[in-house]
Amino acid sequence: MHLTRFHCRSFRCLREIDLHPGPEINLIRGRNAQGKTSLLEAILFAATSKSHRTTLETELANSGAGEFHVRIEVQRAEREVVLETHWWKGQKRVKINGVAQKRLSDMLGKVSVVLFAPEDIALIKSGSALRRRFLDMALSQLEPAYLAALQQYRQVLRQRNELLRAPRPDPGLLDVWDVQLAREGEVLIERRAAFIDELAALASQAYGKIAAGELLAVAYAPDCPAGGLAELLRAKREGDIRRKMTVHGPHRDDIEIAVAGTPARSHASQGQQKSAALALRLAEMDLAHRRTGELPILLLDEVLAELDARRAAQLFDAIPVGAQCFITTTDLARAVAPEGRPAVEFVIEAGALAQS
Amino acid sequence: MLLNSPAVERLIEAFRRLPGVGKRTAERYALHLLSAPTEDAAALSEAVRRAREAIRKCSICRNLTESDPCAICSDARRDQGLVCVVEQPSGAMAIERGGTYRGVYHVLHGALNPLEGVGPDELEMDALFRRLKSGRVSEIIAATNATAEGEATALYLARQAQPGVKVTRIAHGVPMGGGLEYTDEGTLAHALDGRRQMS
Repeated sequence: MHLTRFHCRSFRCLREIDLHPGPEINLIRGRNAQGKTSLLEAILFAATSKSHRTTLETELANSGAGEFHVRIEVQRAEREVVLETHWWKGQKRVKINGVAQKRLSDMLGKVSVVLFAPEDIALIKSGSALRRRFLDMALSQLEPAYLAALQQYRQVLRQRNELLRAPRPDPGLLDVWDVQLAREGEVLIERRAAFIDELAALASQAYGKIAAGELLAVAYAPDCPAGGLAELLRAKREGDIRRKMTVHGPHRDDIEIAVAGTPARSHASQGQQKSAALALRLAEMDLAHRRTGELPILLLDEVLAELDARRAAQLFDAIPVGAQCFITTTDLARAVAPEGRPAVEFVIEAGALAQS
Repeated sequence: MLLNSPAVERLIEAFRRLPGVGKRTAERYALHLLSAPTEDAAALSEAVRRAREAIRKCSICRNLTESDPCAICSDARRDQGLVCVVEQPSGAMAIERGGTYRGVYHVLHGALNPLEGVGPDELEMDALFRRLKSGRVSEIIAATNATAEGEATALYLARQAQPGVKVTRIAHGVPMGGGLEYTDEGTLAHALDGRRQMS
């Protein structure tokens, strides 16, 4: 799919931007703090109603404006989709093709976007919570039934934990929450296993292109093996009651990531970690392409920083041909787009566009 | 709020406690009653008081009723051995509108919800189990909502019901006359799980 037009007003430091991007590589140039990242964030927000930098939507509104508006026109294989979000005084109104939407979840899957930002290095470096979030976000976009199971699982988990906080939890009551926790949890384990299985092969291919010669291994590390959750909950119940919380289950899952045979979290260099995170995002994109038949829009924030010309060329090699991508860079002078691939350049200055 | 009056604020708060009433609507209701003729306001408060006094919980099914036992529990043509368990009186009303159910009801007045502090003791569970002990009930239909809480309540009923009483759960799935494309993904997943053999 291709973004054919982007419009925003008062989104963070962006004043008013009307962008007609090219179908392949779009370079967004600009000095620091001019609004390059905000532009990618605005595209992400328009497509998913989520920001990668904050959960507080108030922060997205230009200080002083008290409102913002983002709109994307996207050419999909079969038809054009227009997504529009207007935020005003804490209220979010979303329109799909001009029709107001009641449920935000109706937006999911309409336009798929994959973003890679410098913060993504935390996917490799930090604790398991971020990797689970990556899994949940990617899977929810691809499989709405996964999102339904996830929401149900979280609700049942909250209820069970509340019950565990009681002085002497009634075993008969715990039973009825356990049944549901196990049922929804098994759906999560099964879908995650299948997803990571597919993702692992694609991620190691992508990594091979970015960092020629090295091996990336990605594997699902479920807290509980498939089919065993009901049994595990039973076995660990006494401990759960003592600790007043549900200690085991898919809410403790992780993804193991190894570079050149050693755990990337503790042993890989900064550069390897960044490449591994990027490989995960490219794999996510590849997988979405396989499942939906359409290439998601790729947003790459500051990937070119610190890369020499050879590494930059390898990076462009890893971007699927035909994929539309938006790349921010502070590099004002040097031509970075490889020859033979159609590229359009935009310059952002003080929150506004200046076509170069 | 333009009227700085504690009495008006109390009235607005009272409306806000009603389901589906937000701040604006509560203010509209309050202002309407205050600017309408005195008799209108008096008639409303009288209607609320009378209904409250006239309506109680049926001693058998715990549904709201003016006569005790309620009309359904005292209807000899209905199957008193088949009990449909619902969370709220509105659930029983919905099934009654269908017009085909010939059994009786039991209203729990809620569902298990630890986060809201609702356990079995806060629901009309004891009254239900007493009915089962009488030996006249052969089947209960767990018609609690298709939420995590409704599901937990249904499972609890199934486990606590005495042996010899059959416990069934209403089916979840595609609405009648509804196309698949209008059904949400969660419902469709359940509908697929609960598929029935046809040949």
